Amino acid sequence: MKMFNMQTYQNLINEHSPVTPENLFVLIGKIQDTFGYMPTEAVHDLAAKTGVAEARIYGALTSYKDFKLRMEDKG
Amino acid sequence: MKERKVLTRRVGKYEPLDLKAYEASGGLEGLRRALVLKPEEVIEQIKLSGLTGRGGAAFPTGLKWGSAAQEKETPKYFICNADEGELGTFKDKVLLDGAPWAVLEGIVIGAYAIGAQLAYIYVKGEYEETVKLWEKLAAEAQKARLLGTDVLDSEFSLQLQVVKGRGLYIAGEEFALISSLETRRAMSRLKPPYPSQRGLFGKPTVVNNVETIANVPVILAKGAEEYRKLGTKDDPGTRLFSLSGDVKEAGVYEVELGSGTLRELIDEFGKGTTGGRHIKAVQPGGGTSALLAGNSLDCRLTTEAIRKAGSSIGTAGVIVYEQGKSAVGIVRGLMDFYGLESCGRCAPCRIGVVRMKEIVERLSHGKGTTEDLEQLRRIGKACVVASTCGMGQAFPLPVLSALELFPGDFEAAIAKVSV
Repeated sequence: MKMFNMQTYQNLINEHSPVTPENLFVLIGKIQDTFGYMPTEAVHDLAAKTGVAEARIYGALTSYKDFKLRMEDKG
Repeated sequence: MKERKVLTRRVGKYEPLDLKAYEASGGLEGLRRALVLKPEEVIEQIKLSGLTGRGGAAFPTGLKWGSAAQEKETPKYFICNADEGELGTFKDKVLLDGAPWAVLEGIVIGAYAIGAQLAYIYVKGEYEETVKLWEKLAAEAQKARLLGTDVLDSEFSLQLQVVKGRGLYIAGEEFALISSLETRRAMSRLKPPYPSQRGLFGKPTVVNNVETIANVPVILAKGAEEYRKLGTKDDPGTRLFSLSGDVKEAGVYEVELGSGTLRELIDEFGKGTTGGRHIKAVQPGGGTSALLAGNSLDCRLTTEAIRKAGSSIGTAGVIVYEQGKSAVGIVRGLMDFYGLESCGRCAPCRIGVVRMKEIVERLSHGKGTTEDLEQLRRIGKACVVASTCGMGQAFPLPVLSALELFPGDFEAAIAKVSV
C-alpha cells in the first residue's frame, strides 16, 4: 500500500483514460487497492470527470465491505 | 456413476494462460464458427441446444440472448457473472482458473451474438488470484486479437473490463451486479423490465453465469444437435457439482445431467460422510435451496427430479449434513450468513431476514418458544412470496424445509428451556 500522492493517482487515471461511468467502478477499486482507502480528493475529481454525482460515489463506497474512506491505523 | 469432463476437460492439463495449448486442444473453433454465422444464427444454435443458466435460476440462455439482440437501443452490454457467492458453490472458480480461455471464448461469442461492444467479467473479490489471472488474460487476448478491434479479422470489435467484486453477496444477483457496475449500491430491482431490455445504464444487457458461458464454445464447435446428446432431453449438457459439507472428498465433479442420482454423487465422489454416519439432510442447489432428508436422495440429477423431490438444483452446490447434527444448528449457520446480506431494497427481505436470524439464534441458545416456530414459518412464507429478487425468495427455504422435515429438533431446542 502506498501513501496517497497525486502522481500515483494521475498514473492510475491515465491507465484508465478516458474515465467514464462505464469504467468508474473498476477505477475506484484500483484506487482502493493502491492506497488502501479512497481519498476525498479522488472522489471529487472522479465525480467531475465522469459527471456521476459525488453522493452516488459515496453511496457505493459506504455500502461495499472492501471500500474504506480513511487510511486504516497500522495498529 | 462417472465423471463426464466436457467443460473441465482442459483443467490441469496445461498452463491455463497458454493460448497455443488451448487452440491445440480444439479451442477457438467455436468462436471461428460463430464469426462466420450471423448473430441471429448463433442465437438459434444456443436456443436449439437447450442450454439453461447455471447460476441458479436456470433461465433458457437462448431466450435471454434473443431478447437482448432484438432491442433497438445501443450500446449493449454482455456481462459474465463470476461473483460466485452462493454458499457451498465453488465450481465457477475451477473454470475461471483452469479453463479461462474457454470462458473468454464464450464471452466473445455471446457479445457477438447480442451485438455488444463492451463486456465485463465481474469476479468475486475474494478470488484475488483469479482477478489477477484474468487481467493478464485480457491483455494477452488483446495481443492475440481475440479482443479489441476486428476480432480474428472479422468486423466485430469488443473490449473486456475485468472487475473485482467488493465483498457483497448480493452483488451476484443480476440486477444488483448491474447496479454495482453503475457505481451504485448493489441492489436488486423489480422485473420487468428485464436486464435484456433495460440493464446496465438502462441499455440491453445480458448477464450470464461463468459455467453457462463455458458451454457456449462447446455448442458452437459441436453444433447444437451434437451437444444435445449430452444429458437428457429436457436437461441437455453437463453440470459441475460442488460437493461439500460432511463428505470425505469434497470437490467439483462434472457429470452428465440425469446420469445418476444425488445419493450416487455423494457416495461415489464424496466417498461417504466424514463421521461415517448416515446422511441427515442435503442441500442440492447451494445454501438457499431447501433441505432434502437423507431418505429422499434417490432422485436423478435433473432439474425436474430434484424439484419433485422437494428442492431445486440451483447452483448445483451440494451441501451434505450427517446424522448427529441438529437442524437448528444447520439453519443457524445459514441464517448467520444470509442475515447480514440483504440489500434492503424490499421490506420482506430486509426485515424478514434479520427477524428470522434472531429467532434461529434464540432457538439455538435454548431460549426459543413454540410461537417462535410459527413466527419463522409466517415470516419465511411472506419473504418467499413478496420479495423482489431471488435472495429474498429463496433464503427462507432451508428454514421452512427444516421445520417440516425435522420438527423434533426444533421442539427439542425449545424443550431445553422449560426443563
